[in-house]
Amino acid sequence: MNRILRKLFSNASSLVGIVLLIIFIIIALFAPLIAPPLSENPYQIPRMSWDIAPQSPGFLMSDNITDIYTVTGIEVKWNKAICGTAEGGYDIFYGLIWGTRTAFKIGLIAVAIAALIGVFIGSISAYFGGWIDEIIMRITDIFLSFPFLVAAMVLTTILGRGLDKVMIALIVFGWMGYARLIRGSILSAKEETYVMAAKALGVKDIKIIWKHLLPNTIFPVMVQGTMNIGSMVITAAALSFLGVGAPVGYADWGQMVSFARNWIIGSPGHAGQYWFTVFYPGIFIVLFVLAWNLIGDTLRDILDPRLRGEL
Amino acid sequence: MINSRKLLLEVKDLKTYFLTENGIVKAVDGVDFEVYQGETLGIVGESGCGKSVTALSILRLLDYPGKTVGGEILFKGENLLRKSDAEMREIRGKEIAIIFQEPMTALNPVLTIGFQIAEALMMHFEISKKEAIKKSVELLKKVGIPIPEQRVNEYPHQLSGGMRQRAMIAMAMSCDPILLIADEPTTALDVTIQAQILDLMMALLREFNGSLIMITHDLGVIAEIADRIAIMYAGKVVEYSDKKTIFHNPLHPYTLGLLTSIPRLDVEMKRLNVIPGIVPNPLHFPSGCKFNPRCRFATDRCKKEEPSLIKIEEGHLVRCWNVERVVKEVKKGFLVGV
Amino acid sequence: MANSLLQVKNLVKFFPIKKGVFRKTVGWIKAVDDVSFEIYEGETLGLVGESGCGKTTTALSILRLEKPTKGQVIFDGRDITKMKKSDIRKERKNMQIIFQDPYSSLDPRMKIKDIIAEGMLTHNILKNTQERYKKVGELLERVGIPAEYMDRFPHEFSGGQRQRIGIARALALEPKIIMCDEAVSALDVSIRSQIINLLKDLQEEYSLTYLFVAHDLSVIKYISDRVVVMYLGKIVEIADKKEFFNDTLHPYAQALISAVPVPNPDYKKERIILQGDVPSPANPPKGCRFHPRCFKIMEICSEIEPKLKEIKAGHFCACHLYK
Repeated sequence: MNRILRKLFSNASSLVGIVLLIIFIIIALFAPLIAPPLSENPYQIPRMSWDIAPQSPGFLMSDNITDIYTVTGIEVKWNKAICGTAEGGYDIFYGLIWGTRTAFKIGLIAVAIAALIGVFIGSISAYFGGWIDEIIMRITDIFLSFPFLVAAMVLTTILGRGLDKVMIALIVFGWMGYARLIRGSILSAKEETYVMAAKALGVKDIKIIWKHLLPNTIFPVMVQGTMNIGSMVITAAALSFLGVGAPVGYADWGQMVSFARNWIIGSPGHAGQYWFTVFYPGIFIVLFVLAWNLIGDTLRDILDPRLRGEL
Repeated sequence: MINSRKLLLEVKDLKTYFLTENGIVKAVDGVDFEVYQGETLGIVGESGCGKSVTALSILRLLDYPGKTVGGEILFKGENLLRKSDAEMREIRGKEIAIIFQEPMTALNPVLTIGFQIAEALMMHFEISKKEAIKKSVELLKKVGIPIPEQRVNEYPHQLSGGMRQRAMIAMAMSCDPILLIADEPTTALDVTIQAQILDLMMALLREFNGSLIMITHDLGVIAEIADRIAIMYAGKVVEYSDKKTIFHNPLHPYTLGLLTSIPRLDVEMKRLNVIPGIVPNPLHFPSGCKFNPRCRFATDRCKKEEPSLIKIEEGHLVRCWNVERVVKEVKKGFLVGV
Repeated sequence: MANSLLQVKNLVKFFPIKKGVFRKTVGWIKAVDDVSFEIYEGETLGLVGESGCGKTTTALSILRLEKPTKGQVIFDGRDITKMKKSDIRKERKNMQIIFQDPYSSLDPRMKIKDIIAEGMLTHNILKNTQERYKKVGELLERVGIPAEYMDRFPHEFSGGQRQRIGIARALALEPKIIMCDEAVSALDVSIRSQIINLLKDLQEEYSLTYLFVAHDLSVIKYISDRVVVMYLGKIVEIADKKEFFNDTLHPYAQALISAVPVPNPDYKKERIILQGDVPSPANPPKGCRFHPRCFKIMEICSEIEPKLKEIKAGHFCACHLYK
């Protein structure tokens, strides 16, 4: 353990990843303090104005909105859109902060469940082999043959919009990689003598998988999972951009980028005048994915010699 | 000792270190021995003693982080450590050849046997590929591979372990080297195949009046083919003499320990002697004599001062402070093993 | 006359060779082909042969770590080959194994105390954790490893020490018979005698029976009471140790003994160099399997397979030279 921590902190790229991740964690944890919610659902981005067009950074909440809050008795704790507003007046800064929580939710939950399913299926397949392995692998192949984005879109169209449906799609079409990964590892690990030794002691098969095979093969899956957290967020963002993800006004970076669709180019004569609608959510996505990738990379480098048994 | 023999290879105080991130591993730390023409030198030792690194150092086949940092390797009077890369390439294969333990990793799995032998021939002689392949077939026949015309086009995985080792010998002997280094060539083979291979090697060397450095941990093999023997431990030679002396009058406690702890077919053994402890970690060598933690005869001096290799009698060198005590044990009949 | 603890009767183990898209069975590797012998209580039976002779497969088949194709293995009166999986698991308490490779036979992620305790846990021996680990400590001390090392991991130990841990693991279940599958072949020469002596001492102390599988005849000679020689899936000779080395009957056994190098420069022996390689167990020669390499070959040898017959008291040989 200590060796892993030491190595994690010893190289520049991994330090960058860790620092970024810590910043994101802090943002997510302290979201209610950094950007106090103005409605019952904190994930509902407050609107700063009724204008369709995005407003530049520094825009103050327009009077008619402030009036609404006063009338409904909600305290307006802040009224300046530091990063500007997106289409429809939604505050970008607020969306960035609460979007961090959303990103973590999507990334961690989707990866965790997909990995769990994948590992379960893959280890059964590898350990028992024979026709069980053949059938399971063919099913895996079928799932793999669907082009991911298209399949996810179809699924969300059937199930309806919403981030939870997006997560379902990510899981349903995301477990295969883990299954194959663990299957490969277990196929080779199961030939190791210590597995035969456990059999010779009379240990039951399920226990052998759980106690001997999985602990020795789970590391590549963990590395892969870590790297995937970032890509899950990007895929969710892509789905939101395509309109099948989060609903309008939801604090999700992808959703915010999708809002910027019509404003990316800007008005004639003022190219890029609405840069902030794309830049801010975009940079958050990039940095988030970068953080996980860097950490995943370092984990893989650390764990590689371990995979050879050097602990 | 016969003085009219020609001294072919003289290794003096060879030091090869590995510069690793965990520290300097002194794999070979002052090794001396001689090889005369037509003779076989046996280098005996267990894993980690530095015997393989010695072989690789002679041929300068070591890469970073290994580096030969001291000593001389005089081959036909010239120091190999001073030669350029081009000069070494001329020597490798043509004058000094090496065969390894694992024929499967030493042979390129994607090239045919014939091509690999031919490659060596074409490198050292001005002959065409066709002629080289023809010579390969002859060589395969000479090493006892049946139907060589067919085998020459086969790949290493199509041959058995014994056949592969024969092919390696063919490759090594193809350019008629005057010195053959064999690093555990038969350890991975079945004992009946080992007998065939050893027979073959000795026959070929007799034919060319070549010399052999045989590196192994198997004292039985050494007893069959070596003329002189160097026993290595922890990067140094600890005893060096001719075969009869080593087996009948060993002077180093490690040699004595080895001889009395191995089961053997010729003598009925009531109990095997045990050398306690384990081979030392090269990163944490003990101070003083490297063998002292495992030695029955170790004294305080052994723990502090490392002995040098001293000539005890003509042609017999030992690295030990307590030689007289070993002599006493041998006299007691301890050696016979009963 | 000691009790017969284990009887192997006409044991056969063939491995299918599958080729093609549909994995059709095109042939068989006849690893073990009609092997019969007995192991007596308290003895060390040395099973010797070169690679491909089937000795390891025989040992694994006896333990049901490989499923025998045909034949019977009778242990303590019960036929193991006919048992259900759950019964075999219970039977495992009585038959244990020490593997050749000390580096891969211990789970690298488990502490050695758990590696040794696993058998006890599986068979519900010493349910109390404290008692269990106390026994682990005792076992470790017995095999020469300080008990306080029990919280360490395998990679912290040397090859010889790992082998000792493997021995402790086998002992933990207090088995009646232990298969030693090349238990010292992968160890350094100076460590081998430590382990061999340990095995011998333990045998006396715990009244163990050993099936010692090895290719090194010198070790077999030292440790065995009786010797079984295998060649290409068949038994060619069985005898008491002294009898075997004094009066070796089978030509292959003679060649094997002659091939073993002896650490004595003055030793004179009959030089028998066999021609050729060991044939493949997928395609064993017709008649006597050894006949293509045999230096005492007769006409009948290439036609009819010799049966294992008792030539002298307790000395069996499968060769046409002997009636």
